[in-house]
Amino acid sequence: MQQGHLTEQSELGAIRIAPDAIAQIVGHTAAECYGVVGMAGKGLTRLLTRDKLTQGIDVSSTDDGLRVDLHVVVEYGLNLAEVAATVRSRVAYELERLTGLRVAAVEVHIEDVRRSA
Amino acid sequence: MTELERAKELGQAALATLEANRRRIDDLNVYPVPDGDTGTNLTLTARAIMEVLDASTAEDRATLAKELTRAALMGARGNSGVIFSQILRGAAEALGEAGLLDAATIRRAFRAASDAAYRAVRRPVEGTMLSVIRELAEEAEDPRNAALEPAALLKKLIERGEDALARTPDQLEVLREAGVVDAGGAGLLEIVRGVSAALSGEPIPDAPAVDAHEAGFDAVHQELSEFRYCTVFVIEGEGLDAETLEGQLDELGDSLLVVGDATALKIHVHTDEPGRALAFGTALGTIEGVEIANMHTQTQQRSERILESVPDPGLTLETGVVAVVPGAGNRRLFESYGAAKVIEGGQTMNPSTADIVAAIQATPATEVLVLPNNSNVILSAEQAAKLVDKHVRVIPSRSVPAGLAAIVRYLPSLSAEENEAAMLEALDQVATGEVTVASRDVELDGVEVRKGAWLGLADGAAVASSADFDEVACAVAEKLLGDGREVLTLLTGEDEPDLVNFLRRLQELHPAVELDVQPGGQPHYPLLLSAE
Repeated sequence: MQQGHLTEQSELGAIRIAPDAIAQIVGHTAAECYGVVGMAGKGLTRLLTRDKLTQGIDVSSTDDGLRVDLHVVVEYGLNLAEVAATVRSRVAYELERLTGLRVAAVEVHIEDVRRSA
Repeated sequence: MTELERAKELGQAALATLEANRRRIDDLNVYPVPDGDTGTNLTLTARAIMEVLDASTAEDRATLAKELTRAALMGARGNSGVIFSQILRGAAEALGEAGLLDAATIRRAFRAASDAAYRAVRRPVEGTMLSVIRELAEEAEDPRNAALEPAALLKKLIERGEDALARTPDQLEVLREAGVVDAGGAGLLEIVRGVSAALSGEPIPDAPAVDAHEAGFDAVHQELSEFRYCTVFVIEGEGLDAETLEGQLDELGDSLLVVGDATALKIHVHTDEPGRALAFGTALGTIEGVEIANMHTQTQQRSERILESVPDPGLTLETGVVAVVPGAGNRRLFESYGAAKVIEGGQTMNPSTADIVAAIQATPATEVLVLPNNSNVILSAEQAAKLVDKHVRVIPSRSVPAGLAAIVRYLPSLSAEENEAAMLEALDQVATGEVTVASRDVELDGVEVRKGAWLGLADGAAVASSADFDEVACAVAEKLLGDGREVLTLLTGEDEPDLVNFLRRLQELHPAVELDVQPGGQPHYPLLLSAE
């Protein structure tokens, strides 16, 4: 098995999904969530993955299923709790719909608030 | 009337139309997540804003606009509530600066609302509340409406909003699939309708009867949330620690939110144990504003309401499909793809012309497509077509898997001609095969066949015969997949063969091929195959 891949067992064999594929899905979904105006990468990752859709997204696998951490920037003046709740439910919903993997946790970290021009 | 009284009057009217349409809007909700709460969220957001307005003592428009913005931010519930809070914020900025509530102010307010709404998202999705507010702003600025008074302008905006809302399924695929318009957009339109009615002194419009087209059939098939109770409450106390509480509540369920400060925390959690969640609260301070909603009941009631509004078969479809199909599993497959009438029949049990005539007449459509699914049935189907006064087209499908490939393309909303073209194209692209048991010794297409042995056919020609099922099935599959086809559908028969070895070999030989195995239940053919 390739390292780091997320595996789902089926009758006909295993299906492996690379964390980067999951991160892409999360990135696309998050970018469409209302209130999210950017992703916040950290330290070295930020430099390496500049402008990439997967910036600020960590995907890991736990015994209970997939764990996703998103570091987002939200528009100033919005209800942060409600924006985070939408991001969380929409990311979990899209991931389960598109990958069939169980999603154990989607942690939304609001790293910054930005006031658009 | 003071500014405040005026604002209250408009707000009350908007809230009243939302309340009246709340359930209908809940039923529309399939995006961003099909949880059926958009109408409820918008109504709760509007109520929170009205509570602040009712308690307000603002004496000038600028103060009022600030209070409104803040109330919307604090009271926003759900995704639609958040978008609405941003729309209101934009509008309030423009209204707060204005001296008069005239047509020019309304124009600026809609433009500011639309711009503010679009500002707060990285990649705006069309076919949502966003596209509806944008079109409202465009209509408000349309030079043709320059001379209109406020009341007339708002009426014009509602017309445009209805049109924009009706087009949301063209813009967003999930809406099209579920056969609904966007719920948030529908809610926004009701708010504008309420404000418009109040402005022109008219009564609040009645909620429209639920239209079967709006609450689509597929919207029923949405999953239930894992936990049963949506639990919301506020804890008031001293030195409240959000993180500790979060840790405790996290065990109970999901969608957890704990926001606030050391003196007041607002809690939101989806859980099966709302009592324990509240107990954590009472241990820390006093609790207030408890709301517990049974989400399963909500979802279930919504499903029931949607099912009620599904058109009964007496209503006319644009195009209906009659299919001749053997086996219970195959019947279900064809029905799931929308066949209006399925006649049991096929090899060695061809239905009569009269059976087909009866089925065509019982189909609730003026134009009917017939899928005979057997070369011996095509002729009776063509005869039946001549005996009825409906417009009938026979699609010459020669096998069940071929018919299946055709009906997958069926769209009831398209004309018979368009459906026919799509189905014929599907027949042209599909390759079909069968595995059966030979009934006598024979030589077929150069293949030596023994009575009682497995016989495999691909597109009507024998390709293999042997006592080994796996060998025959593989030979047929090889032949069908030969032309670079990538999807293989298998329909198992009444006498279901053991497919394990066959499937394993297929996977080794064609790892990229997508397999779909369905219990067909047809007699005589233990295995039917089709490749696309």
